[in-house]
Amino acid sequence: MAKKKVVLAEGAESEVVIEKPESRLKSMWDALKKNKAALFGMFVIIFLIIIAIIGPYITPYDPYKNSMAEANQTPSAVHWFGTDTLGRDIFSRVIVGTRISLFVGIAAVAFSLVLGTIFGSIAGYFGGKIDAFIMRIMDIMLSIPSILLAVTLMAALGKGLDKAIIAIGVVSIPEYARIIRSSILSVKENDYVAAAKVLGNSDGRIILHHILPNVLSSIVVRATLGISTAILDTAALGFLGLGVQPPTAEWGDMLGRVRSMVLVYPHELIFPGLAITLAVLAFNLFGDGLRDALDPKSRS
Amino acid sequence: MNKKILSGILAAILAVSCLASCGSGDDSDTSSSGDSDTLVYAQGADPRGLDPQIVDDGESAKVTNQIYEGLLQYEDDSTEVKACLAKDWEISDDGLVYTFYLQEGVKFHDGTDFNAEAVKYNVERNTINKTEDMTYADFVWGYVSGVEVVDEYTVNITLSQPSTPFLANLAMVFGAPMVSPTAAEEGDLMNEPVGTGPYKFVEWKKDQYVKLEANEDYWNEDGKAQITNVVIRTIEDASTKILELQSGDVDIIDGIDTNQVASLESDSNITVNTTPGMNINYMAYNAERLDKETRVALSQSVNVEELVAGLYNGYAEVATTILPTFVPGYSADETQIAYDPDAAKATLEEKGVTSLHVITYTNARPYNTATGQTLTEAIQGYFSEVGVEVEIDSYDWTTYKDKAIAGDYDICFYGWSGDNGDPDNFLNLLSDTNAGMNVARFNLATNEDDQEAYTAYAEMISEAAQEPSGDSRNAMYAEMEQYVADLALWLPISHQQDITACKANVQNFQYHCTATVKLYKVTKS
Repeated sequence: MAKKKVVLAEGAESEVVIEKPESRLKSMWDALKKNKAALFGMFVIIFLIIIAIIGPYITPYDPYKNSMAEANQTPSAVHWFGTDTLGRDIFSRVIVGTRISLFVGIAAVAFSLVLGTIFGSIAGYFGGKIDAFIMRIMDIMLSIPSILLAVTLMAALGKGLDKAIIAIGVVSIPEYARIIRSSILSVKENDYVAAAKVLGNSDGRIILHHILPNVLSSIVVRATLGISTAILDTAALGFLGLGVQPPTAEWGDMLGRVRSMVLVYPHELIFPGLAITLAVLAFNLFGDGLRDALDPKSRS
Repeated sequence: MNKKILSGILAAILAVSCLASCGSGDDSDTSSSGDSDTLVYAQGADPRGLDPQIVDDGESAKVTNQIYEGLLQYEDDSTEVKACLAKDWEISDDGLVYTFYLQEGVKFHDGTDFNAEAVKYNVERNTINKTEDMTYADFVWGYVSGVEVVDEYTVNITLSQPSTPFLANLAMVFGAPMVSPTAAEEGDLMNEPVGTGPYKFVEWKKDQYVKLEANEDYWNEDGKAQITNVVIRTIEDASTKILELQSGDVDIIDGIDTNQVASLESDSNITVNTTPGMNINYMAYNAERLDKETRVALSQSVNVEELVAGLYNGYAEVATTILPTFVPGYSADETQIAYDPDAAKATLEEKGVTSLHVITYTNARPYNTATGQTLTEAIQGYFSEVGVEVEIDSYDWTTYKDKAIAGDYDICFYGWSGDNGDPDNFLNLLSDTNAGMNVARFNLATNEDDQEAYTAYAEMISEAAQEPSGDSRNAMYAEMEQYVADLALWLPISHQQDITACKANVQNFQYHCTATVKLYKVTKS
């Protein structure tokens, strides 16, 4: 480490030009390392991912097994987070719920990212009538409150994880389409794009190989932040009783079913609520850190 | 200098007008319950409408019951009938002609006279002039073949066959109350009700409140309203309702979740009342889709006692019969399908039943305070123990009723609050041909044995309805109860207590076992 630093300090300008991709990743990591909040977010995300993978194998109780005789118990050594209305262990359900929230969050973002990128690239690259057509549709979608649109979609599609992913994904397509389009607009006039065209590259190849890599960083940042929004949206749908088919353990759904008893059995709300907060906070902190790290202006 | 004075005056005017407008704002706030002249009652849903001959929901009845009266009324603590708009009545020996002697000098709130002609108008509105949306018209007046004005205050009603529940039906909150003929013809009773009762209608702000005021010209000195203004508010969220009671904005609330009772009881400013409810909370098998063996096996898989203890915290009793214990015809000797998961598993495996489509309601109902959703998920747990997976579709109550009528389900959840204390009111649900009532779809059963059983059952119901009340009639209902229990068309779950709470300074509040209230007696100190 120390040696490298010295090298960098001696001939900073020439060094940077030579090592291209590695140095970008590395300098990003260096910037991220200094951001304590972002690091915390990253570790929580890693922790949540581990829980999501091994969770179902480590739960102390079957999260789906009703036990009416043990309904509504407060936290104790036996049931760490207490039990819910049907006597199910809340600790086990929160753990199992991690996988669902992360999965829906990431899958929904992937869904909207892919479609958003396609629409945004086409609109930005070709411009003209296609651009106007696609972006007006996106504007119309943006003009509807996102949660309302998701609720409507869920009502039309029915309950289920796959449908929740689609509903939440569709809602944020316009955001990605806009970001991609504006990035492409700023990149496509560059000389190297013109050069690629002159060399006879197809439009698809130019977009994929020459333009998109240049807008990748802004997409990554937006997607990371998007996951936290998607987790919140999943919880909101669950809270409204639209998300998952019972008895699936989903954080928002767990909150929603006990909301009328917040004063009587607060523990039934607090733990799934904390889980949601933790996950959303982690992705937000990490996403913010990532943005700062990738933004050349904020790097001194 | 002048300018300063001028601006001072202007500021003063502004301040005064602001104060004045704030003051008038307070005056128009109808929902304050601070003064002893106003009683605020909160319930969980908005009335569907205020014409008692059209609506069929308890929320509407809470309002219409203050405004309207029928020929008869129930005693305060039972379903025995007593005089109301009819001061006396006679029944002919063959049980077909009922002669009613009416109270004299009664006027509807719009000034129309209440007399024999008005009764005739009301009966005919429910019979020969009946419209499709009058859910209770046939129930109350179905056997009426004619109505005849004898003199101004005497009326004869003739039935086509003897009907024992007829008198009890005349005191019901639906179908039976007398509406003003003038208003029914020219007005809009669903939104501007006109009756003869101790309170008259002032204003209905949809989804917020209905405002009533005392009827100064009420005919019955003993039944006059004690509190001048009544506001019946709609507060959908259960915990908000409780918070408003605790903060003193509301005087009385109903439909309380059993989980909340303990914390309410510990509050010295609040009185919690529990009364045995005349209701049944049940799960219905769709006889169009499930045969008797499957139904029995599914019933065997549910531990009803454990279920009821876990969900209702002791505020509901396990239903061993469809009839609540205090309704005539109830017998302690009935036996329901016993809990036997092993037998259930064997039968279901043999029959190849592995998945079921269940529909349920998301909200709490008077007969099921734990919400249909929670009850259904509890049952889902029992079914999964015997290897049956359940797909649940849940809907809000209004949508749910349509889904139940459409019939696309293997199992649905329902309940019934008794209207008149007659066993026929409960047991004819299974003989009814209306899909919204007979959710087990017994009348549409596909299996031949079930079809025969239905024909026999409908016969028994019709016979018992004509039998004069007494031991032999009660025995007939007890027999029918066992008959349907063995067919396992329903899984009777519980009889829920009615739980209401009021501020400690509210007196004489009584919740009737027909899940209705009369507020004229209530006082505040």
